[in-house]
Amino acid sequence: MDIIACIKRVPDTSEADFIKIDPAQRDIEKDRLAFKINNWDEYALEAAVQLKEKLGGTLTAITVGPEDWNEVLRRALAMGADNAIRIDRDVSADDAYTVAVILERVIQRLSYDLVLFGAQSEDFGSGQLGAMVAEMLGISHATLDTVLEAEEGKVHTQRELEAGTLQSYTIELPALLTVHTGINQPRYISLRGIRSAMQKELQVMALDDPGLSPETLVPMVKLEKLELPPKGKEAELIAGAPEEAAERLAKILKDAGIF
Amino acid sequence: MTLTDYKYGDVIHRCFRCGYCKFPINWMDVNNCPAYARFRMETYSCGGRLWLTRAWLEGEIEWSDHLADILYSCTACKNCEVKCPLSFNIDILNMMIAAKGEMVERGEVPSPVKEFLENIQRQGNPYGTSRAKRGEWMEGTGIEAYQGQEFLYYVGCVGSYDTRGQETARILGKVLQKAGVSFGVLGNDENCDGNEVKNLGEETLFEMLAEENVAQFQGLGVQKIVTLSPHSYNTMKNDYPGFNGEFEVSHYTQLLQGLIRDGGLDVSGGYNATVTYHDPCFLGRWNEEYNAPRAVLKSTPGVQLVEMARNKDGALCCGGGGGNFYIDLLGGSADSPARRRVREACETGANVLAVACPNCLTMLEDAVKAEGLEDKLAVKDIAEIVGEACGIK
Repeated sequence: MDIIACIKRVPDTSEADFIKIDPAQRDIEKDRLAFKINNWDEYALEAAVQLKEKLGGTLTAITVGPEDWNEVLRRALAMGADNAIRIDRDVSADDAYTVAVILERVIQRLSYDLVLFGAQSEDFGSGQLGAMVAEMLGISHATLDTVLEAEEGKVHTQRELEAGTLQSYTIELPALLTVHTGINQPRYISLRGIRSAMQKELQVMALDDPGLSPETLVPMVKLEKLELPPKGKEAELIAGAPEEAAERLAKILKDAGIF
Repeated sequence: MTLTDYKYGDVIHRCFRCGYCKFPINWMDVNNCPAYARFRMETYSCGGRLWLTRAWLEGEIEWSDHLADILYSCTACKNCEVKCPLSFNIDILNMMIAAKGEMVERGEVPSPVKEFLENIQRQGNPYGTSRAKRGEWMEGTGIEAYQGQEFLYYVGCVGSYDTRGQETARILGKVLQKAGVSFGVLGNDENCDGNEVKNLGEETLFEMLAEENVAQFQGLGVQKIVTLSPHSYNTMKNDYPGFNGEFEVSHYTQLLQGLIRDGGLDVSGGYNATVTYHDPCFLGRWNEEYNAPRAVLKSTPGVQLVEMARNKDGALCCGGGGGNFYIDLLGGSADSPARRRVREACETGANVLAVACPNCLTMLEDAVKAEGLEDKLAVKDIAEIVGEACGIK
């Protein structure tokens, strides 16, 4: 089975108090942040590697971004990807549609049975990219997948919906899935693995390689403003002995009608 | 990897599980392996883990989450190595670390271990907190950046980021200031020392950290290092020379011992308490420094030092070594080593449990709360005891 996994690099924003909006109010200030592979994409990669280990075939990791995004492709190569492609592009002003156009052009020239995306990204979180690419490629897709099993010519998948409801599908290949967290436990990538991956070839494509130009990439939506929410009422820290604190907490919950 | 490729493939079979690795002193008790004490199953003792490792490498058992948890529950406390009577004892802990290393290379480590190591790859500390916050602990202390002073005061990850560890780091800084010691710190430029990384089996990441730290220290002209943590002390003293990092490394209790002895630090304010001292593994069994912390306590007026039944090379690990202060594979039970240890401390009649390690401090303080012993036993770092004795609030 030939698999393509599309991944992106996101800022590590685990510390909310570290997030600052840049003066143009279109992006966050990134100079003090560390970066990593998008969480959902890591699960997608792990799912792809497990399928490849079980069924054979190839795994190609693709990203659209500037040069420092190579690091997520190196991780993908260290995890078990055979090929890595980066389409060189500053995507900071792109919407999901623009990136989908680029990916569709690249993927349609490759041989594949299955395309995997993370269900959404940690930074902008639109959750649109995978479904858009599937529509553009004209292949079946299922989003929010928490189970993925494959056999000759088809995949069995389960989608996790509200209130824990599950939808099961069998989908003919080629197909595209967007993978949810919890589908597996992504493996640890050792520093030795990453260093070994530095020796592997990483293909860099210019926009015109798949016949695109900046002029043809017009976003469908334009970000007007990025801002932090206004500060709400301060949280109350309940002090005192455990018995008093518990009594106070019980009163707050009771007054709020929680019990 | 097969048994043939495993570095200790020709010796691992020699463990016949005599059980000495679990002894504190002799056969009267078998609960001095922290993981065995917690789970009371042979598989969690050093001998059990060696047999499991051998079976795994020979293909008799498959890797599983449970197997990984068992191997990573080893805190690298070195009780097994010190108590094993056989000639290959020098390598029994290394056998475990090598098995963890194989799991690292396969990517098959418990998820908290993955998180721990990825956080260090990304932010230089196990908590995943930004590197740009590493120096926040020193705000308002007047502690200077290192610029050629006599000592580099290396604080470490727990002292830099953990709230309780930060308190200790600040107090030790104030004690050193009070004693007129010429020292500076690295603040945001400090990186993880790598001691736990090595014990978790991530050898390449450890090598990178050691190389970077040695290059940084040498670039700054550092010759003497004083550490807050015995973990930093251990790796800088014993491992960094292998990376051409020859520094004069002291644990802070060793420096304080000399300062008090030579009259450089006035502790006449005293500290009135009955104190029992918990030996940290990386100061005690790993480096056989049992005297300096006790000498500091004994020279502090008002301190009445009493010993726990298990002490020095027979001390029970707090359960925080081998990254377990973060990955926490030994918690959640009255049998967790930290809870056992604070009960043992209480039995001495002491009202203060003194430690000399920020990892032990956080582990044992949490255990005191879990045991409901807050009214009977306070956990204090020796730096805090000395700080109070020399009038630092």
